[in-house]
Amino acid sequence: MPAKKHKPKLAVWKFASCDGCQLSLLDCEDELLKITEIIEIANFPEASRAIQPGPYDISLVEGSITTPHDAERIHKIRRQSKILITIGACATSGGIQALRNFADVKYYTNLVYANPKFISTLQHSTPISHHIYVDYELRGCPINKYQLIEVISAFVNNRKPNIPNTSVCIECKRKSVTCVMVSQGLPCLGPVTHAGCQALCPSYNRPCFGCYGPKEAPNTTSLAEQFIELGLSKNDIVRAFRGFNAYSDAFRKESEIYEK
Amino acid sequence: MNKTITISPVTRIEGHAKITIHLDENGTVQDARLHVDEFRGFEKFCEGRLLWEMPGITSRICGICPSSHLISSAKAGDEIFAVEIPETAEKLRRLLVLAQWVQSHALSFFYLSSPDLLLGFDSDPSKRNILGLIEKDKELARRGIRLRKFGQEIIEILGGRRIHTPWAVPGGVREPFDKSKKDHLLNWIPEVKETALMALEIIKKVHQDLEKEIPSFGNFRSLFVGLVSTDGGLEYYDGTLRVMDGNGNIIADHLDPRKYYEYFDEHTENWSYLKFPFYKPLGYPKGMYRVGPLARVNICDYIETPLAEKERREFKKIAASDGVVNNSFYYHYARLIETLFAVERIEVLLNDPAILGDHIRARAMINRYEGVGCNEAPRGVLFHHYWVNKDGVLQKVNLLIATGQNNLAMNRTIKQIASSFIEGSNISEGVLNRIESGIRMYDPCLSCSTHAIGQMPLVIQFIDANGNVVHEIRK
Repeated sequence: MPAKKHKPKLAVWKFASCDGCQLSLLDCEDELLKITEIIEIANFPEASRAIQPGPYDISLVEGSITTPHDAERIHKIRRQSKILITIGACATSGGIQALRNFADVKYYTNLVYANPKFISTLQHSTPISHHIYVDYELRGCPINKYQLIEVISAFVNNRKPNIPNTSVCIECKRKSVTCVMVSQGLPCLGPVTHAGCQALCPSYNRPCFGCYGPKEAPNTTSLAEQFIELGLSKNDIVRAFRGFNAYSDAFRKESEIYEK
Repeated sequence: MNKTITISPVTRIEGHAKITIHLDENGTVQDARLHVDEFRGFEKFCEGRLLWEMPGITSRICGICPSSHLISSAKAGDEIFAVEIPETAEKLRRLLVLAQWVQSHALSFFYLSSPDLLLGFDSDPSKRNILGLIEKDKELARRGIRLRKFGQEIIEILGGRRIHTPWAVPGGVREPFDKSKKDHLLNWIPEVKETALMALEIIKKVHQDLEKEIPSFGNFRSLFVGLVSTDGGLEYYDGTLRVMDGNGNIIADHLDPRKYYEYFDEHTENWSYLKFPFYKPLGYPKGMYRVGPLARVNICDYIETPLAEKERREFKKIAASDGVVNNSFYYHYARLIETLFAVERIEVLLNDPAILGDHIRARAMINRYEGVGCNEAPRGVLFHHYWVNKDGVLQKVNLLIATGQNNLAMNRTIKQIASSFIEGSNISEGVLNRIESGIRMYDPCLSCSTHAIGQMPLVIQFIDANGNVVHEIRK
């Protein structure tokens, strides 16, 4: 096979987040060397000081937008990126820090910091797609490293990523995990949550709490009604939908219905 | 003309940061500051959540040390339940903390710091990273990667995944240890032990090679704070707090970590989003203290495993007449001693039949309305303090994070490095990298320290006496 002329350039960008998703790239221990054979890591501040100028073939974006500066920075990144992929719950739905979207941010800074006037922060923590066009959203809190490798190689090879968009329920069935909602009456978000974790929590005998965010067309209304049947209070339902993907449309709307 | 240098983002650290260097009219360094600029707000949005959710929520503070948050949070829950957790659960949690040390310390040394130390501060920046290290010494890089993998794999075996595992809960842990994995891990021990010993040899060689530079890397007296076991040994999961001064005197001992707020307070400066914790009896800023590997290896009387104890004795020789190792450059050395200790201790735990038990969780309801959980995260002692109502709904949360506690010392360190290596307006890439490297010695986890605020790649800005940015270096 003839050598490729051009190795695609990959950049990794961080916004408000815990770094866990970009660390999944460093977690690709054995695969890391192979990845660098097919792509050039051109911008990854957590791993290297050398930052090559754009444009980049693929940008991986971690984290949510929380400051005025970041709201501008994401546009610059979009302009330099042929393909822009968000990785993880923060970038895709605003993350756990989006819980503050349901309260007044001034209340937060006043309580945590003695000098709140020096903090420049936006009212809301928002997903990247509220600011720019996103080519692909990889779900998870944190993402699954094998899915990350799949998405990178799909875009390098110009094909559609093979990431199942079913619910966590399907993963439970495949692993033969007994349904925690049916057998124990636990309030599980599995029926409305995007697959990808291999049903980690139900395998540990606990209900899913929605790390991967809403699946395509989730029936949250009927799930919430089921929760009521299980004896959950309105507050419990609000809390259930307000987790790591609280600000995703589907979960936010459902939680707001039960807020009052 | 006065000016300020800004380094932003600070690379090869966990999180985002900016450094500014303030110069006076003569171009002499007046001050150097580490800034953080983002808001997440964990302490506030946890209010109204349930105690049972807290380990899962707070582990999202950080992707490097989620297990440390998980453990402090679960321990705060144990306090609120007022239960003693089963022996198996405690030993498994200990195994998790040690695995966390191994993976995080390996990340810090092999991925983030060794490129400077082995390839040189002035080497080509495009090679000064893990990939450059792979090119230079493939075997060493492979070993480093596998050492980290060893720690991550234990976490995965215990908790189902490496990052943000839902495994530890108030009262214990969710799943017993999978017996079938024991031999696989035990067979891996000789290799990782050898890697830890190799890394120690490397750092000693670095100490010789950089003999002239090391005295300028954060060399000052400060307090050291950390946990020690009941008889003064190196501790990582339980124990009591010890405070040692810069002359090696123990000025407070056997402090109850549940009353941390009686000994420490936090100061805020208007130019940083990171708070400045200090030891109350000495006030701010005199009460500056360091936490993490340097503090832990300094304050303990002994290490319970033989190879690490032998290294600790060598380490102590560096202290000479100070009685304590005051130079932050030796964070690297201390970190590697701890890595060796963690590997040795993991071997002991894996051979302990108690870890195979299946009584792993004590069940209880809310028996207290307040609880503090604490353990030694890789970067230093980590406190979670919760107040709940009778239903277990969080009323108030306070988190005292390891990196935040090193904030004063980190600022002091960059000022010292900047003063030693910056002359006039001629600033080379290597100098900027030394300043960054000064931050990296502390292995700061800025997502953690800014759990309430912050984001942190680094920009260096030069700011003049009038507050104008005269020069800015970005990456």
